[in-house]
Amino acid sequence: MARAAILGRLIPHRITWRVATVREVVAEGPRARTLVLDVPEWPGHRAGQHVDVRLTAEDGYQAQRSYSIASAPELDTLELTVELVDDGEVSPYFVQELRAGDQFEVRGPIGGHFSWAVSDGGPLVLVGGGSGLVPLMSMLRHRAARASDVAAHVLVSARSEEDALYRDELEGLEPRAGLSVAWTFTRTAPVGWSGYARRVDAAMLADVAPAPGDQPLIFVCGPTPFVEAVADLLVDGGYDPRAIHAERFGPTGG
Amino acid sequence: MTDVHTDGNGVAGLLGEILAVEVTAMRRRCHSCGAENPLAAHRAYHGAGVVLRCPACTDVAMRIGVSDDGLVFEWRGTFTAQRLQ
Repeated sequence: MARAAILGRLIPHRITWRVATVREVVAEGPRARTLVLDVPEWPGHRAGQHVDVRLTAEDGYQAQRSYSIASAPELDTLELTVELVDDGEVSPYFVQELRAGDQFEVRGPIGGHFSWAVSDGGPLVLVGGGSGLVPLMSMLRHRAARASDVAAHVLVSARSEEDALYRDELEGLEPRAGLSVAWTFTRTAPVGWSGYARRVDAAMLADVAPAPGDQPLIFVCGPTPFVEAVADLLVDGGYDPRAIHAERFGPTGG
Repeated sequence: MTDVHTDGNGVAGLLGEILAVEVTAMRRRCHSCGAENPLAAHRAYHGAGVVLRCPACTDVAMRIGVSDDGLVFEWRGTFTAQRLQ
C-alpha cells in the first residue's frame, strides 16, 4: 500500500481516454461552435493546453484531432471551440451535427510548453490568428476568473467580422485594468471600421506590445504560416526568442 | 521534403501514450547545429509516423514510428528536463 502510494506521487498519470458528454453546443458565428462538455474525473488543465479528440464510427473507423481548450481552468465544464474546415472530416460533424447528449472520447490535458497561469506573471502578449485565439482565450478567462491585474496585450487577426471569435466577450473584458485588445481584419473589415485592416506587421506589433525591455511573455497561435511570420517579426523586433511560445496548427484534415 | 509542418505541441498526446512525463517543455540541444529549443518549438512533419526537426537547421531531432504494438522512438541530441519543484 505504502509503496503504491509513493509510486502514485512520483509517477504522473499517463493520459488516458475518457468519455465526454456534450452538455451544450453554442454558436460562435456562422463557422464555429463551442462544445460544452462534461468529462467525469477530468484532472484539470492549465490555460493554453489542448486535448486529443477521438471519434469512432459504427464500423470501427477512428479519426483523431487535437483541439485547444477554450475554457478557464476554474470552470467545472470543459469547453472546446471548433472551427469548420471546408472539406474536413471531423470538424463538419462537430460544427453542424453534434447535439447535447452526444458522446465522444477525449484525452488530456496535453502540452506543458504552451500554457500560462496567473502565477507565471507578465506582461503578456497574446497574438492569435483565426481559431488560434482559442487557447489564448483560456488564458484571458483564467486571468479574469482570478481578477488578475497582470498586463495583457492581445492582438487578434481574423479574416472578417463573422470569423472573429469571442468578440463580444473580449470587448466586455476589455475595460478591466491592464487589458488591451486589438483586432485586425485581413479580408473584409466591418462597415465603418477604423482599426487595422491588414496582415500583422512590425508596426502593428510595435503599437500593441510593450517594448522588448519590458520582457513580456509572448504566446502566438494560429496556422503555421501566420505563426512563423509573427514569430519572425518578434525576433527581428528584439524580443527574446526564449520568451516566445508558439503553437502552430496545420492542414491535418480538419 | 515538403514544407507542410506544424510543431511539437501537437505530438504531446502521442508521446503521452508511452511516456509518463510531459515532454513538450523539455529543451533539446541539437547534435547537428547546437541550437537549443523546447521540443514544442520543433517542426513536426506527419506521415505514417511523425518526424520532429530542429527549427534552426531542420536536421532530424526525433522519429516516432507508430504500429499496433506501440511506438518506436529515435532521439537525437541532448534533452534536458527541469526537475519539478
